[in-house]
Amino acid sequence: MRSDYLPDDLKRLWKELASSPVEVPAHDLRREALRLRSGVRMRNWFVAAVCGMLIIAYAVFFARSSTNLERIGAVLSIAGAANVIVQFLKRPGRRIPDVSATETTRFYRAELERHCDFHRGKGTGSWLLPLLPGPILFNLGVALDQPGIAAIIALQMTAFLMLAAIVIPLNLRMARRYQRRLDALDGSIRE
Amino acid sequence: MVRPGQEEYWQQTAREYGAALERLAWAYEPNPDRQRDLLQEIHLALWRSFEHFDARCSLRTWIYRVAHNVAISRITRRRKVHEPVFLTLADIEARPGPQNIEEEADRRQALARLLALVQQLEFIDRQLILAYLEDLDAESISQITGLSVANVWTRIHRIKNVLTRQFHSGVTHAK
Repeated sequence: MRSDYLPDDLKRLWKELASSPVEVPAHDLRREALRLRSGVRMRNWFVAAVCGMLIIAYAVFFARSSTNLERIGAVLSIAGAANVIVQFLKRPGRRIPDVSATETTRFYRAELERHCDFHRGKGTGSWLLPLLPGPILFNLGVALDQPGIAAIIALQMTAFLMLAAIVIPLNLRMARRYQRRLDALDGSIRE
Repeated sequence: MVRPGQEEYWQQTAREYGAALERLAWAYEPNPDRQRDLLQEIHLALWRSFEHFDARCSLRTWIYRVAHNVAISRITRRRKVHEPVFLTLADIEARPGPQNIEEEADRRQALARLLALVQQLEFIDRQLILAYLEDLDAESISQITGLSVANVWTRIHRIKNVLTRQFHSGVTHAK
């Protein structure tokens, strides 16, 4: 291979890379843009529908509950599910920076921060944590009220805790990885 | 709904910047299938962005900003930070070139090496050198990246030197 390439030669060389750009028909883009927009809306309505069903189910449980612990659990579950609906319907795209208005360095930083926060559970925590106490209290109430099925409920809770014990450290490790990239980016910009 | 001008802007983009966007996709995605996906994602993002393009910056600045941001977003989503670069001469084999076989082989080898070097750069450096290789001036690069003009110049100068040195030495270790 030649060994006398100069920076300007590299420019020429670089431009030889793409000679037959991929053609994307405009009507495909129009269709895809509409699909994306309705996709986000559909996802939010799906979450709202699932939570709606949870609310109905716990309302029924509340009516049929025989202990106060079960009733408190049911009320908290209803409140948690309602909170998820509000968060999701309020939320679309809230933390994603605009690709056209944001400079690439700032965008990259925002993306790293967003991923880092996600793995730390910042965004998830705001809707997931309020959702947890209700079902836990409700299950506890059911277990105390009906000792016959206490073993099954204990098994479910153990499985849930074991899953959390695996998922949480993995996510924190990912968060640390993104944090290192953030630090490297900051260091690089400061140079 | 299509905003007046949206389709015209996109047609102009495809016509004038199609090749540059393809090179940009190459620089971010070594895998040809994923590179095609990225390119489509960029075109889609551009199409959507033209709904609110207000010409406060040049079309070129807008296009590069959107394209780089889409590429960054896509690559950042990936769990593996540094994927191995599987770039073979076959990846660029289909591209036309000079008739002379020896010259053609030399050109392909040089292209493969240049691309591999660019793909290994950290995002910010990659954006800067891509913009330089596409003949963008420091002012435009500054508007795209958000770095100061002086910083842009200094960094490009440094990357260019390293790239040229590495290109000649054939050492392609990751940064």
